[in-house]
Amino acid sequence: MLKMQHLSKVYRTHMVETHALRDFSIHVRDGEFVAVTGPSGSGKTTFLNIAGLLEEFSSGEFWLDGVDVRGLGDDARSKLRNEKIGFIFQGFNLIPDLNLFDNVDVPLRYRGFNAAERKKRIEESLSRVGLSSRMKHYPSELSGGQQQRVAIARALAGSPRLLMADEPTGNLDSLMARGVMELLEEINRAGTTIIMVTHDPELAARAQRNVHVMDGQVTDFDTEPALRVTTRKPDAEAAVA
Amino acid sequence: MEIRPILSALMRSKVAMVLIGLQIALTLAIVCNSLFIIKQRFEHMQRPSGINEADTFWFGSSGFGRGYDARATQLADLQLLRRLPGVVDASPAWSVPLSDGGWSTGMNLQPKQKTSTADTALYIVDDHAVNTFDTHLVAGRNFKPEEVVNATFGDSLHPAAIIVTKALADKMFPDGSALGKQVYLAEDPPTSTIVGIIDRMQQPWATSESIEYTTLVPAHMPYGNFTRYVVRAEPGRRDEVMKLVEQKLVESNPSRIIGKMRTIEQTRNEAYSSDRAMMIILGTVIFLLLAITALGIVGMASFWVAQRTKQIGTRRALGATKFDILRYFLTENFLITSAGLLVGGLLTYALSLWLLTHTDGAKLLPWYYVPVGFLCLWLLGQLAVLGPATRASRVPPAVATRSV
Repeated sequence: MLKMQHLSKVYRTHMVETHALRDFSIHVRDGEFVAVTGPSGSGKTTFLNIAGLLEEFSSGEFWLDGVDVRGLGDDARSKLRNEKIGFIFQGFNLIPDLNLFDNVDVPLRYRGFNAAERKKRIEESLSRVGLSSRMKHYPSELSGGQQQRVAIARALAGSPRLLMADEPTGNLDSLMARGVMELLEEINRAGTTIIMVTHDPELAARAQRNVHVMDGQVTDFDTEPALRVTTRKPDAEAAVA
Repeated sequence: MEIRPILSALMRSKVAMVLIGLQIALTLAIVCNSLFIIKQRFEHMQRPSGINEADTFWFGSSGFGRGYDARATQLADLQLLRRLPGVVDASPAWSVPLSDGGWSTGMNLQPKQKTSTADTALYIVDDHAVNTFDTHLVAGRNFKPEEVVNATFGDSLHPAAIIVTKALADKMFPDGSALGKQVYLAEDPPTSTIVGIIDRMQQPWATSESIEYTTLVPAHMPYGNFTRYVVRAEPGRRDEVMKLVEQKLVESNPSRIIGKMRTIEQTRNEAYSSDRAMMIILGTVIFLLLAITALGIVGMASFWVAQRTKQIGTRRALGATKFDILRYFLTENFLITSAGLLVGGLLTYALSLWLLTHTDGAKLLPWYYVPVGFLCLWLLGQLAVLGPATRASRVPPAVATRSV
């Protein structure tokens, strides 16, 4: 699903050069649920941004669902992002002036679906997260947990192959967080690949595989052979395979 | 096109939308009506006076001293003027078109008529006036020398023969039979016979509603020791002739003062100075209004872009291209502008009707001003929002994952 090899990301100003990711390699297979952990400033968000095609990388190789991402223009990246990836943000990132229906509709409009298809998908995805009765409500009328469910519905409505979750429970209390995690697990069981960035070791433990990032590099990973992740040995997974 | 969600979002920020919409509505109303007034003023200024303006000038001569004979001086001056090199012709004239001063009277068809059939300006001239002013006879004849009477200021004028403009002839005799007809220049007889009709010669008053109703009266009639002359020079020699005329007249009779010489072009400029000032003021108002409206749109759009940076980043993250973002802001502006213009269209006609009932000579705004105004303000709105919208389209999608 996602494969990065020797990838690096350098932020440059005329005074300072910051290596956010260095020689970063990872392979996430179809249907996996991977948790990416690490302290603040370790490079988790940079990884998420690059993996989600939100940011470009400085060097290395990156394939997303078989597509070589290097050299893709901005429009092509937007299209690929829209078709392949669903995003769940820590702060939900719902548009406050739009009701739930229109919020979920946002990525579908960019996808170019017709009105009937969009309506069907919106209703299905809101129903999946248990909010079909509140389509005309605005985000401010919902609890944090409900808002995150809407964000999940929005991410799922386009039937993405990969779900990128950035601290999806970071702004929720434990009860709501548990509900969101259960929902993500259910989505994963239905076949969607999930990469979740989190600080919370308890949440990370519920993923199939953990990747620990430190100073822009993968320093630790689960050793389950079938779900092997490598950092400096790009050929290791091939060997394992 | 995501018109419905944009409208829905706008309805939740009504204050900003109403304010900017109202500004656009007022701008449309004021700009359309101001442009119409400017057009009317311009057309007013462009009306032909009916005389040769490029080569003609006029001036006064005031005699002083014991023994000054105004009538003899006038006749001698006219002979001298007509002989000068570069002069086509000269005539005495109490006034000239657009000079803002002169005589007028009511012209009647019957004696003791209570209401005049037409109000006409009277130009007291001689048989050289038609040629001097370079106006054209469309019917009848010029004055004969013997028809030019010697008159004294204060006498009642009852000229036997008069020449009138075609507009006046048509007003007096709408069936087109004015030539040879008799009219009254006063309440009582005798009558004057229309011996000639000239195509056009405006009155001295630029604002007169009957500006085209003019009568030429043949008389040598100095005003005390004062006489006014009109001179037409050969094409291109006006300024040279003006100097020569002044010099020769002073030499011929030093017992008088030659007043300031004015060209008809200067006279026209002075006559329409208030129209020109009005056009400049309204033009400035239009420019400032459009600039303020454009700046208002830029300010509002810039504020919204800054306020919605995270939202724009989220849209980008969810698959919006740069063009999608640009289009979003252009569409949003188009909708706000359209709402403002719909209100503005009604306001424009309301203002036009108000001007119609409260201003002399005002006309109802022609219908096409509003659609043209719509197009211009739509274009202005789109141009104004282009900068902020382009900035919005450059918001990177990674903004969506930033926590601050």
